[in-house]
Amino acid sequence: MSALTLDNIAALPGNAALQTLRQQAADTYTRTGLPGKRDEDWKYTDISRLTAALGESWWTTSEPQTVDINDVAAIEDLDAYRLVFVAGRFQAKQSNIPAGVQLLPLAELLNSDAHEDAHCLFKLDESAPLFNGLLAANSALASDGLCACIREGIKLDKPLYVVHVGNSTAHVLSGLMLGANAEATLIEHFVGTDSSAASLSNIATYVRLQDNASLTHYRLQLESDKQLHVGRVEVKQARDSRYTLHAVELGGSLSRADIIINLSEPGASCDLNGLFVGSGRQHIDHHTRIDHNAPHCRSRENYRSVLDGRSHAVFNGKIVVAEGAIKTDSAQSNANLLLSKNAEIDTKPELEIYNDDVKCAHGVTVGQLDKNQLFYLKSRGLPEDEARQLLTFAFADEVLVGMKIKAVRRFIEKEAFAKLPNLSDLEGMLT
Amino acid sequence: MLKVKNLHASVDGKKILKGINLEIGAGEVHAIMGPNGSGKSTLSNIIAGRDGYEVTAGSISYKGKDLLAMEPEERAWEGVFLAFQYPVEIAGVNNTYMLKAGVNAKRKHQGEQELDAIDFMQLVKEKAKMVELDQSFLSRGVNEGFSGGEKKRNEIFQMAVLEPSLALLDETDSGLDIDALRIVANGVNKLRREERSIVMVTHYQRLLDYIEPDFVHVLADGKILKSGDKSLALELESRGYDWVKEEEADRIKAA
Repeated sequence: MSALTLDNIAALPGNAALQTLRQQAADTYTRTGLPGKRDEDWKYTDISRLTAALGESWWTTSEPQTVDINDVAAIEDLDAYRLVFVAGRFQAKQSNIPAGVQLLPLAELLNSDAHEDAHCLFKLDESAPLFNGLLAANSALASDGLCACIREGIKLDKPLYVVHVGNSTAHVLSGLMLGANAEATLIEHFVGTDSSAASLSNIATYVRLQDNASLTHYRLQLESDKQLHVGRVEVKQARDSRYTLHAVELGGSLSRADIIINLSEPGASCDLNGLFVGSGRQHIDHHTRIDHNAPHCRSRENYRSVLDGRSHAVFNGKIVVAEGAIKTDSAQSNANLLLSKNAEIDTKPELEIYNDDVKCAHGVTVGQLDKNQLFYLKSRGLPEDEARQLLTFAFADEVLVGMKIKAVRRFIEKEAFAKLPNLSDLEGMLT
Repeated sequence: MLKVKNLHASVDGKKILKGINLEIGAGEVHAIMGPNGSGKSTLSNIIAGRDGYEVTAGSISYKGKDLLAMEPEERAWEGVFLAFQYPVEIAGVNNTYMLKAGVNAKRKHQGEQELDAIDFMQLVKEKAKMVELDQSFLSRGVNEGFSGGEKKRNEIFQMAVLEPSLALLDETDSGLDIDALRIVANGVNKLRREERSIVMVTHYQRLLDYIEPDFVHVLADGKILKSGDKSLALELESRGYDWVKEEEADRIKAA
């Protein structure tokens, strides 16, 4: 394997100290390489497809392109602060930054030599859960991202809507910090424009929530057909903080996300909702890891997948309850609907519990549509196809009902259902 | 309307129905009574077209057509309706949407124009009132989180909207307290029409105090052993089912 070198990173933003951090990350990547099939966490996801498709070109951030955000299938009727990234670079002209909060594109922050606050995002911890070479490559190669600090007690009046326009190789690194009692909503939307182009989106997002802070995070992956997408979301939660994730996987040829939640102080709580809709030969993989490291923390996890064609999904949900984390309240559910006999799901709940005083529920289902429900609908006069579609949509929609922003929910319903054998009129179909 | 001839059926190789003969004329109300496990629900499920039953002999004709050759939805379009013994919960599917899809599929089948959302809404509101169903139920998921009584009332509401010509009520009275039973029965009575036949499958004579049948049949061990008018139901209430079975045994012996 050839080495990721200074040549690849010299042109990237950051002062000498940061270049050193980038070089260290590059060395780490060169040492670890890409995860392989022997790696238990990558058993079902063959990332060699990345080099097969792109060779070593994925090390190089694509040249900037001009994309008009109005030409992109963005969410309509969304009242939000829109922040646009094209090919991993912030587009100031197409964006509006909220006033009164500390929010800057990463590159701008790195190029203004005044402070080195953002450097901590580049420091790698190889002992972190699900650490891998792609994350090291992200640190070495990150061209831009979003750095925001919502100060104590601030409630952001509108969501941050971050649109990443893909079809280009981009290494994006973002950091979001919410001070005590702060509240915000982050919508990350990954979207492509060219269905024939293959490249890599390598996206890392770090979140820190201080005491009683609350973040709702929509992570919407709608890359174009051939795009490869790898992502990592790492959240550290202080006392009584709340984190809600709505992860939706619709696009790309291969998409992998690692979601790592550290409930580090008492009373912290997280809700992870995931929906995969796979068709064709799509491969979708989420590895989630929730660490209950303090007493009285709560976690809820609800992942669903609807798989058609020859699509393949992987769900691995690991929950670790530490020794002192008494009164842990945790529930995990993963339900999978296979619409075709060639579709495949590998699902694995993993619980590691190191004390007695906990409540941990988990359940997995894999199957086809419920026969009783199907008969019920048919007995009311619905044709078989329509009944099947209706049940399929209702199954998928169950994880979307928690989305409080209606414009996002409607957008995702439309995009998700468009991938499945379709009814003409969705109006009023679901509750 | 409906002619069941010498119907034999089994489930997983086990014989459940052993030669049912039953004729139901337009506008008639029939009660089919019998002990648990006699085949009452099997009969209504076969008429509605549920999977998992093997008809080994006999036939069912409905309005002169071979009912057994039809898909469940085709039966619905032809006017067959089953009120389920255990109504199915379908989380997320809007109750009204389901009915609109059903009604419009039927109208399409009959060559009628489909109802638009406004006309349909007006229709369901009327019908909900008729069966005393709170309007909040209209926009909820199908039977989602409904109590037992609410589910049964929702079945009768659906019957009101779908306007069947043959309604099968499969133990619609089971599990209801008196007040709920009265509401459900009133709903059914309001839906009685000259051309609409109703078959009530029940365990309890109590239902027949509220919905008066024209005919009562006793189904036991997969056969209709006795038929009569509503006085038969009263006799069953006081004497149980055993005497009917004994009569049948005597009859077989004599033959």
